[in-house]
Amino acid sequence: MPAPTQSREEPGAAAFYLPDFCATRIVFVVVLIAEIVALVLTLAHGPGDLDFWTELARTAPFLLWIALGTAFVLCVVRARLARLPIARASAMALVLIVGVTLVISELAYRFGESFALPGTDLGRLFPSDHAAFLIRGGLISFIIGALALRYFYVTHEWRRNVEMEARARIHALQARIRPHFLFNSMNTIAALTRSDPRQAEEAVEDLADLFRANLSEARAQIPLKEELEVARIYQRIEELRLGARLKVEWQVRDLPMRALVPSLLIQPLLENAIYHGIERLPAGGTVTVAGERDGSVLRLSVANPVPSEPGAREREGNRIAIANITQRLELAFPGQSGIETVQTTESYKVTLTFPCVEPAL
Amino acid sequence: MTSGLRILVVDDEPPARDRLKRLIDELGDCECVGEAGTGEDALKLADQLKPDVILLDIRMPGMDGVEAARHLSDFDEPPAVIFTTAYDQYALDAFETHAVGYLLKPVRREKLEAALEGAMRPTRAQLARLAKVSPTAARRSHIAVRTRDELKLLPVEEIRAFMADQKYTTIRHPEGEYLIEESLRSLEDEFGTDFVRIHRSALVALRHIEAVERAADGGYAVRLRGTAEPLTVSRRLGGELVRRIRSGG
Repeated sequence: MPAPTQSREEPGAAAFYLPDFCATRIVFVVVLIAEIVALVLTLAHGPGDLDFWTELARTAPFLLWIALGTAFVLCVVRARLARLPIARASAMALVLIVGVTLVISELAYRFGESFALPGTDLGRLFPSDHAAFLIRGGLISFIIGALALRYFYVTHEWRRNVEMEARARIHALQARIRPHFLFNSMNTIAALTRSDPRQAEEAVEDLADLFRANLSEARAQIPLKEELEVARIYQRIEELRLGARLKVEWQVRDLPMRALVPSLLIQPLLENAIYHGIERLPAGGTVTVAGERDGSVLRLSVANPVPSEPGAREREGNRIAIANITQRLELAFPGQSGIETVQTTESYKVTLTFPCVEPAL
Repeated sequence: MTSGLRILVVDDEPPARDRLKRLIDELGDCECVGEAGTGEDALKLADQLKPDVILLDIRMPGMDGVEAARHLSDFDEPPAVIFTTAYDQYALDAFETHAVGYLLKPVRREKLEAALEGAMRPTRAQLARLAKVSPTAARRSHIAVRTRDELKLLPVEEIRAFMADQKYTTIRHPEGEYLIEESLRSLEDEFGTDFVRIHRSALVALRHIEAVERAADGGYAVRLRGTAEPLTVSRRLGGELVRRIRSGG
């Protein structure tokens, strides 16, 4: 028998927060920042030996050179920075920004020294105090650079959150009950309506509850007790259809029933276990839903037997369901949840791990 | 119009069968002659009862409806087939494309009546095309063989080897040898993942290879579990055989 294959699915590392500085939009933002800084510096400078407009006219192009130089350097090294941890990448970016500022300041100073004689009109536009000029430039670029990096970081995080929420909402929609299940249940109810009206009535009630749970707000977190109840309702409906072929063993007594979990966590896994496992076995089998609390962590697993040669397309559906639960767990417990699947020739098991969050009474 | 039709109901879900049987009863002039819960049972019953029409569920464990229909089409007098399904997008598309009769569950009485009136035998070509789009039926789970007057379904995983033999192919199975009218080439196309060609005239099951032995003439021979004489491996195919055994498939 082949060794069981294991796969661990973790939410992918977030994309690097620094934008692509080669993009026109970002270059525009950088130029804008430079010009705003030029304006602020000129305003702060107050009346000196130059009037406001001359002061602005000499500061703005200087900062523009720094801005474009920085954008160019960051554009070139972005891919390399993206591979570093965020803190180190940010520090490196800041060093580069200050470095570019110093280099351009130095060039400006040298240029003034060689072409503009002190005392002339042109000479007055260039700095005369070499060291102080460089230090001031370095400090200002350090502060502005840090603020700009922070701005890019926050914007990026915000956009990522919006995207993740949108994706989670779409996935929650996809997680909803398979049409296959709906139509088969309708068929079962149609059959029971005459042969056993009482059971048909119960089946309709169960189906209504199940859809209510499915149609509720996708992001809602519900007590574990309710989530298990939804899964049990689902089991009842499937039992009517599959008869003795379906058995479900619940090993969940030790779980804290008040713990909050994302809704539709267990029911889709049970649905998968039946759709890919039990339903495809002529003699049926037993699905085991087990849960335990390990300190501050909850572990839930659903295991089922599978036919020896499942079709490739059938597994595809399962992969989507797993990806979707991974996403929703990640949204509920960022960086603290895990999902593990173990597939052997005879069985399939999914284990979810996430923090146990119990609301105060 | 539907008078006197003898119908076999096949579905793995008991409530679904009950409902169809009741609908047929209520039509009045038709008769449900039997019911089956698996594709295998359906074929055996169809062979014994010779129904006019089979209402055949697509999604069943083991042998599914599309595969059962393919075996049915090899019968001397195949029954008409009406597929039933609750929801299978791939199947619905295929039925529409190939004009094969089907009913959606829960089945409406009028639709059932209309389908029975128009019930037809799907052609083998139609069924082969259906099987192609089916996620499970592209590869049969069983081979149907006829022994004197009984229909026998050999699970493919029990078959030891297919041997080309003039215009027939012999199936080697622990219970005996059976003749079918399929070419080794088409069998290899269908079951190539589990069977390996060791000779121009032999396709053997990888899972039943017990040993590969050196023959007296320096070539190789394969011994299969539960069979007496080893099968010769042609020189040309020896390398491929060893590679497949090493890679476990």
